[in-house]
Amino acid sequence: MLGEPGEVIKAKVRTRIDSHFHRFIAHSPFLCLATTDAAGYADCSPRGDYPGFVKVLDEHTLAIPDRLGNKLADSFTNIADNPGVGLIFLVPGHRETLRVNGTAYATDEPDVLARMQVEGKRPVLATIVEVREAFMHCGRAVVRSRLWHAESQALAEEVPSLGQIVADQLALDAAAVDADLEAAYKVLY
Amino acid sequence: MSQTTLLERVEPVARDVLALTLRGRHGPLAPWQPGAHIDLSLPNWLQRQYSLCGDPADPDRYRIAVRREPLSRGGSEYVHLFLREGRELTVSLPRNNFPLVPAPSYLFVAGGIGITPILPMLRAATALGAATSLVYTGRAADTMPFAQELASRHDTRIGVGRADLTALAADLDPSTLVYCCGPEAMLAAAEDAFPAGQLHVERFRPRTWQFPANRPFELVLARSGLTLPVSQDEPVLDVLDRAGAGVPAGCREGVCGTCEVTVLEGTPEHRDEVGGAADRLYPCVSRALSDRLVLDL
Ligand code: FES
Repeated sequence: MLGEPGEVIKAKVRTRIDSHFHRFIAHSPFLCLATTDAAGYADCSPRGDYPGFVKVLDEHTLAIPDRLGNKLADSFTNIADNPGVGLIFLVPGHRETLRVNGTAYATDEPDVLARMQVEGKRPVLATIVEVREAFMHCGRAVVRSRLWHAESQALAEEVPSLGQIVADQLALDAAAVDADLEAAYKVLY
Repeated sequence: MSQTTLLERVEPVARDVLALTLRGRHGPLAPWQPGAHIDLSLPNWLQRQYSLCGDPADPDRYRIAVRREPLSRGGSEYVHLFLREGRELTVSLPRNNFPLVPAPSYLFVAGGIGITPILPMLRAATALGAATSLVYTGRAADTMPFAQELASRHDTRIGVGRADLTALAADLDPSTLVYCCGPEAMLAAAEDAFPAGQLHVERFRPRTWQFPANRPFELVLARSGLTLPVSQDEPVLDVLDRAGAGVPAGCREGVCGTCEVTVLEGTPEHRDEVGGAADRLYPCVSRALSDRLVLDL
């Protein structure tokens, strides 16, 4: 029912970060990181920063900075229990996405953290990903979703703010929650 | 203010060093004097400062040299791996924190990539008829850009390892000005060895200083009449931005001088490396010692 991926697509699965994949990562400001815990429950969390915030240490190794607000604890506990991770990198305006699967661990190696300094601040920790496979994922999902169309941004207006959502859930004052959130977003590093 | 250029040429000039030639996209580029640098805006949103090392008499081109840093945060690595000839690049107007002051003779001291601002200075000083000498050192011969073309000059000493700056200082004529650019260890040694009145240094990276703890103060913008509180955690640059009175910024580390503003009243706490006049403030890093600081904004 699902069909087999075509030969051409299959051939593109690599076991290393080649120069094209490196270029993709160097221009990607956003990715999703999937992990699972010891019991097999999955978690997926977004990471984002300036393009190239994920460093390619060598063709088999990536480093992702862990900064404020990344909900560090979940991913780290999961990685400690089960090192398998899946990543999807996005480049704004690009139809295809880059997928990387591998195993991960946390590090505080100063030379790795030094490369991730932004506005004079280093992340506390980085997630190192040892690449098992890497491949470009076809662009149908991005094309169908009109993800990068400017008009698509209007969708956000139809969705309540996080303040409203949390306020409803916890019976709080939405404006106060939104104001706290805006203040928190000012400190990005 | 920015200028649009085309990356005309990329060529290796030493191990891990590329020279970039940028041509004005819409005619001549802003003129510059030896010692000047530009901010280069990279496609990955990073901005980096590079000294101009080409010929100031060529109105159409800037030339810079970029060393790939082993611990690159994404600037030099991007230049080395991803920039291709023919692409458009935005650069700032040239700024000069390291100008050549007229003197009868000059001693230039350069370490590694620090040769870049020195190169046009050396040519200009020679053209003006001043007596010049250059001491140029590096970690290994193949890491030193432009060493070959400099080796043919009679006034140049090129070597691997550390220059003996104390010996140079002992022989220094009081009318000679010393210009030094290189790694932090060399700059610190130069500051120890040479009399402050004769020495000019150029830093690309800020030193690590210990500053007293940040304290809050009040910022007054004289022209717009705004009064803004500056909390202890916020850089003045961000406070200005938020108030809609933002100033352009480059390095955000107090080295490039892009964010310069004039202080009208109050005592600034200079934390920058630009070394501008006492009434100039670089709000990306600098703060105030007084409780109130009035800016010409
Ligand atoms: S932005 Fe470079 S000195 Fe302030």
